[in-house]
Amino acid sequence: MTEIARMGERLTATRPDALIVVADDHLNAFSFNAVPALCVRIGRTVQRMKQDHAEAFDKVLDHMPEEYPLHEDLANQILEKGLDAGFDLAMSWEAPVDHAFLSPVNTMHGTRPIPPLVPIWVNSFVAPQPTPKRCFDFGRHIARVVASGPWKVGIIATGGLSHFPELSLPRVGETDTVFDRKLIHWMEAGEHEPLRNLGVDELHKTGEHEFLNWMVLLGAVTPARAQVRYFGELPRINLAAVEWSLP
Amino acid sequence: MSRYAVNSLLYRLKKDPDFRARFEVDASAALAGLDLTEAERAAFVTRDRRKINELGGYLHLVMSVPGLAAH
Repeated sequence: MTEIARMGERLTATRPDALIVVADDHLNAFSFNAVPALCVRIGRTVQRMKQDHAEAFDKVLDHMPEEYPLHEDLANQILEKGLDAGFDLAMSWEAPVDHAFLSPVNTMHGTRPIPPLVPIWVNSFVAPQPTPKRCFDFGRHIARVVASGPWKVGIIATGGLSHFPELSLPRVGETDTVFDRKLIHWMEAGEHEPLRNLGVDELHKTGEHEFLNWMVLLGAVTPARAQVRYFGELPRINLAAVEWSLP
Repeated sequence: MSRYAVNSLLYRLKKDPDFRARFEVDASAALAGLDLTEAERAAFVTRDRRKINELGGYLHLVMSVPGLAAH
C-alpha cells in the first residue's frame, strides 16, 4: 500500500490531464446479457458500484467518493479511432466501476484530486477471453491515440498476479511464484514479445487471468522497462506494484 | 450441463434479494421450472459451492453469493 501511494505521488507530480484505468469486471458492471471482450467507458461521469451484501473486496468501496469525472475526449477518441483501426470495442455510458478500478485509484491519490478517468474493461475470466496479443495490440492503439492528442496521460492496469488457478474453488490459496517471476523478468527486461505470445490457457492454468489487463498497459508503454516496487506472496494471491516511466 | 444455466442462477442469487430470500426458505421451490440438470439442481439445493464451481459456476460468483459462502 505504501509503495502504491508513492507511485501515486509520482503520478500526480507529472500532472496528468487524464488517467486511463484498465481492469476486469467481476460480473458487477456487466451481466450475462453481454460480456464485452474490451469495453471503453464513455460519457461525463462514472459511478461507484453499489451492492447490498458486498463481498469483502467491495466493502472497501463504501468510504470512497461515489462519482468520478471522465475524460470524454480521450475516451471517445480511443473508441472511435479504435473502431477505425479494426478493434471492435464495446462502449458503455452506464457501467459502474468496482474495487478493481477504485481501490488502486483511491490508494494512489489519497486526498489529492483524481484526474478525469477513462475506465477500460477487459474480459479476463469469462471464456472465451481476448488473447494476450490482442490486449497488447489494443494497448499499442491507445499509445497512438495519446501520441496524436494534446493531453498528458497516465495509465494504470490492475489485477493480481497468480491466484485462484483455473478458477477452481479447491485451489483457492494456490499461487505460482515461478510463473510470476517469469512475467516480472520479461517486464523488467522490456521483452514484450514472449508476453505477447502467451496463451489464454496458460494464464488460466497458472491463475494469471488478470494479467490480460497488464497486457493492455504493456502495449501502451512498450518498449519501456518495468521497475518493480513491490512483490508479495499473500495467503491467497501474489501481488506486485510495478511502475513504468516514459520520457 | 450448462454454463449459462448455472451462472445465470448464481448471478440472480447474487443480485436479486427477493429471489435469494425465496431460495433460502425453500431452495427446491425457488428452482422449480429452471432449466437445470439433476446434478446442478442438487448442488444448489445442498448449497454445495464446490460442486457448483465444478459444474461451471464462476469462482467469483460462487464466492460472492450470500448464503452459499456460509456453507
